[in-house]
Amino acid sequence: MHTEAIDPPGVQWLRVSPKYVTVRLVEWAIGNVVMLVILSLPLVFVLLGWWRWPPLWLAITVPAVVLVLALWRLVLIPRQVRAIGYAERDDDLLIRRGIFFQRTMVVPYGRMQYVDVAVGPVERSLGLCTLKLHTASAGTNAQLPGLPAVEGARLREQLSARGEARLAGL
Amino acid sequence: MSLENNATESLPGKPELTVDGDWNRVHPASPFVRGWVALAAVGFFFGRDAFERMLQGRDFVDPNLSGRAPWLLAGGAVVLLLTVGGFILSWYFTRYQVAEGYVRVNTGFLFKQQRQARLDRVQAIDIVQPLLARIFGLAELKFEVADAGESAVRLAYLPLDQAKQLRATILARAAGVVSGPETAAEVPEAPEHVVLSVPPSRLIGSLLLSEQTVGIFLGAAVVVTTSVLFDNNAIFLALIPGILGIAASYWSSFNKGYNFTAAISPDGIRLRYGLLDTQAQTLPPGRIQALMVAQPPLWRIFGWYRIHVNVAGYGLAASTDGARTMLLPVGLKPEVFRMMSLVLPDPGVEDPERVFTAGLDGLGPVQPNTATSDGFTTTPRRARLLAPLGWRRNGFLATKTALLIRSGRWWHTLVMVPHQRTQSMALHQGPWARRFRVADLVLHTTAGPVSPRVFQADVEQAVELFDQQAARAREARKRQTSEQWLAQVAPQAPELAATLTEQPAQPAPPQTSPQQEDRHDG
Repeated sequence: MHTEAIDPPGVQWLRVSPKYVTVRLVEWAIGNVVMLVILSLPLVFVLLGWWRWPPLWLAITVPAVVLVLALWRLVLIPRQVRAIGYAERDDDLLIRRGIFFQRTMVVPYGRMQYVDVAVGPVERSLGLCTLKLHTASAGTNAQLPGLPAVEGARLREQLSARGEARLAGL
Repeated sequence: MSLENNATESLPGKPELTVDGDWNRVHPASPFVRGWVALAAVGFFFGRDAFERMLQGRDFVDPNLSGRAPWLLAGGAVVLLLTVGGFILSWYFTRYQVAEGYVRVNTGFLFKQQRQARLDRVQAIDIVQPLLARIFGLAELKFEVADAGESAVRLAYLPLDQAKQLRATILARAAGVVSGPETAAEVPEAPEHVVLSVPPSRLIGSLLLSEQTVGIFLGAAVVVTTSVLFDNNAIFLALIPGILGIAASYWSSFNKGYNFTAAISPDGIRLRYGLLDTQAQTLPPGRIQALMVAQPPLWRIFGWYRIHVNVAGYGLAASTDGARTMLLPVGLKPEVFRMMSLVLPDPGVEDPERVFTAGLDGLGPVQPNTATSDGFTTTPRRARLLAPLGWRRNGFLATKTALLIRSGRWWHTLVMVPHQRTQSMALHQGPWARRFRVADLVLHTTAGPVSPRVFQADVEQAVELFDQQAARAREARKRQTSEQWLAQVAPQAPELAATLTEQPAQPAPPQTSPQQEDRHDG
């Protein structure tokens, strides 16, 4: 996997399952199609002559802009999924994400308070799961979506075993 | 799955499982002190009429009401009886116990709640005295553990002496000084050594020069201009609620900051403050997760600073009123240094005063080639368009024990995070930052007013810091224990050092096993 400038040197990133793209596509569809339908209603009404306001150009522009933005986000999804990576080091877990707004996070094993594995309906049908790490800080917000269920279970056990070995207080 | 989440547990059922200490009740007057509003409302509702009649020189009971009066009186009596009965029941069913390393509280009579918190997980203990409780010589004890929610244990109200005694017992047991099921009376309160106090004049001055005042003057200017322009005085009338609100907020700041005193004792840092409602906080050694020194622009005239801290138990809800997370409402530079040295006894640099001064007021060099005299690594010159004002100010410096982050050209801030308190970290880089080859480093600490972030550091330096900081935090966690904290604070309070060494069974050597370390740091 390609390494970005803000990634620590010499890290071998593990990538999440490419099937996670499907999950993101479903999320995208649910979010954007509903929104587009609602925003297109004025256009339909204006075309049918039921409404006098808004003017036609406005009724066209608003959904068009939203459509373009939605398509843009759609195109980005595969790249965003490819940009999610994680690496287990001796004492901490690295998680990275993002293309434009990149974020690389390090969570020391000894700092983990608990580990969550969550599975949504779409994820379940694809055999995926989401791993969440919680530290004493609310800001940590470390999520690893789109892990194969087996890998998620392995990581969970591995992380909690390592966490117990390196347990530190606050 | 929980790695160490057993700080508080609510146990269902099974009341007396392992009881050896005495179960105590809070002061019988406490429901009345807590619920005086309800009593006052009942009294007001039924008493006002009679009182008004008396004032007007008529009969105590309205003669026309003779038919209804018995019903009214009976109704009032029933309401009063129910309220008082509820108070008595709630008092009777509230019991607490300190034993076996736990503090346990049972409350409730229809819906019972049993709560226990591990003493060694204490993050802070507060003794709060609202005005009415203070009149009766009562106090509330709040016991905080690290779950950022409401207080784990609240005992309201105890007689003040008893509350202090209980605090001493809890802290002594948490430190491992006393163990076993002895009663609370045997633990003496730890002696303390006053470090600083804030004179009221400076507090008033600091309020007058705060950001709030600047905002008010700007608002007033706008109002005056508009009223002149539109020749309309009604706008002033509309402002009255606003003015009342502003006055109330000044008053509450003054009320909370009045008579602020900081002291150091073997139990930790003691803060005491309040005019009408007084509060005494105790922060045991090493419980401060992050510290921020800030200086609003107008405070620079007098060289004033204030200090906020993140403490695990206080959480976010506390930062809204701001008082509990305030380590110093207003202070001069020497006082700031003194408080910082209490929080971080070993700054980990040769010349802490020079470094802290650079962190508070320093500016990086204009030219990149000039050697950075103050040790802080600042935003590279090429990124000055991203931070036209702050690029020479934004900087970081990692000492052996803590990471110092400074920022703000006008609002000077200096954030200090001890290495062993770093939870996790993240590097952030947006498209613009990538264009200028800089990145932000965010350190995650427990919830609170301080959110440490290194702004616009050179990307290579940021990655290096990210890597090194992870290693440093790991090292510091292995090394640091609270005993060292006490030993290092001792020179500042010699008399305390004596009492400390006299105390029996001081927990043992600095290099403890993970479990022991957990006990002290948890």
